[in-house]
Amino acid sequence: MKFTLKLWRQKGRTEPGAFETRVVEGVSEDMSFLEMLDKMNNEIEAAKDGVEPFAFDSDCREGICGTCSMVIGGRPHGPGELSTTCQIYMREFKDGETITVEPFRAAAFPVLRDSVVDRSAFDRIIGAGGYVSTNTGGAPDANALPISKADAELAMDAAQCIGCGACVAVCKNASAMLFTSAKVSHLVSLPQGKVERTPRVLAMVKQMDQEGFGNCTNEGECEAVCPKGISISHIARMNREYVRAKLFGA
Amino acid sequence: MTMTSILKKVAMALSGLAMLGFLVMHLAGNFLLLKSAKAFNDYSAMLHSTGVLLYVAEAGLVLFFLVHVVSGVRVSRENRKARQTQYAVKATAGQATLFSRTMALSGLIILVFVPVHIAMFKFGNAGGGGGLWGLVMREFSQPLTAAWYVLAMLAVGMHLSHGVGSAFQTLGILKPTWRKPLRQAGVLLGWALALGFASIPVWALMQAQKV
Repeated sequence: MKFTLKLWRQKGRTEPGAFETRVVEGVSEDMSFLEMLDKMNNEIEAAKDGVEPFAFDSDCREGICGTCSMVIGGRPHGPGELSTTCQIYMREFKDGETITVEPFRAAAFPVLRDSVVDRSAFDRIIGAGGYVSTNTGGAPDANALPISKADAELAMDAAQCIGCGACVAVCKNASAMLFTSAKVSHLVSLPQGKVERTPRVLAMVKQMDQEGFGNCTNEGECEAVCPKGISISHIARMNREYVRAKLFGA
Repeated sequence: MTMTSILKKVAMALSGLAMLGFLVMHLAGNFLLLKSAKAFNDYSAMLHSTGVLLYVAEAGLVLFFLVHVVSGVRVSRENRKARQTQYAVKATAGQATLFSRTMALSGLIILVFVPVHIAMFKFGNAGGGGGLWGLVMREFSQPLTAAWYVLAMLAVGMHLSHGVGSAFQTLGILKPTWRKPLRQAGVLLGWALALGFASIPVWALMQAQKV
């Protein structure tokens, strides 16, 4: 297969960026999108003409770590459903197609180089309260703390978030509500997390605002591209948690 | 006053739903126009006879309107700031709608419409025969006025078709399983109200053409 890639190239955080067009030939349909980029980068390096390889993030390459990013053809993580960029295969594209690759665009995710963005804003949101700090003692007996099946499922659904940032990338407002709400909803579903529910939701939302993410306008684009299928019901739940914390928290 | 993102949205949702409640009553009252001049003018007189209550209700509506507009403007400004570089290729993931993308535009049309509408009918000259009913019929006998009202009501339909469902999501007061039915009910209610309101200038214009 042969593809024309329009790649966003940017040398550094403060440098201006621009698109560069490259043709990649001899691509197997069984290559993942990242393997296709690896092949392209090998060719760039082999040419030894001073051109730097295309920078992109990746780590586990099995769809569970949330490191790979990129907006492919206008969609974060490319064309697949419930899929990260590393799980996209070239057979999903048409031979000869022109594919545009851009970094996640958000003021809170500054571009570091090419398609690599700084997502440490997410770490700071988690750092503001996305954890349990109450001492729960030694490991209790299994089932000593009964949790209903429904609550356990809800917590697990929310806990699936891998923090990739696709929700922010697709949102027309670059809002981080799906990410933040997944953690709030996960922890408030469980007895260990309920203890700190009030300070948690207040601090995490405050941090989210400070990072410069936009406001949610309830379109639901985030849940459509989320590789883990996290529902915007968690956003509704965080809104409720937040109002509860404001009204009855103190 | 600084308000967090969620509080601004809650303010928008509550003021929006309050105005939605008003629209339902307003349309019910307006349909008396179709019944008879007397029925409509009597209804208007009844509202005015409530005295101070009417002023309280009006002040409430002005407040909801201002809260909604001010938070709306602040939310959109922050949202523009949150993405300064736009994507070269824009696609939707399938859940956004034309109307969810154009809330600011439909809101702006309504923002222009409301003062014009109040000036026309609340502070218009109802002394020219037929009372308030006569004023409405005279204004809507002008095709341009009637067309502007229909256009503004389309903006109301657009705004509500995203706004109603969005308000319930922002308030987060109902179970997740209610989300889709509420969204659909919001679309239905929004367009029913918009078309209901739009039917009045169209009807009045047709009456004027008959004479």
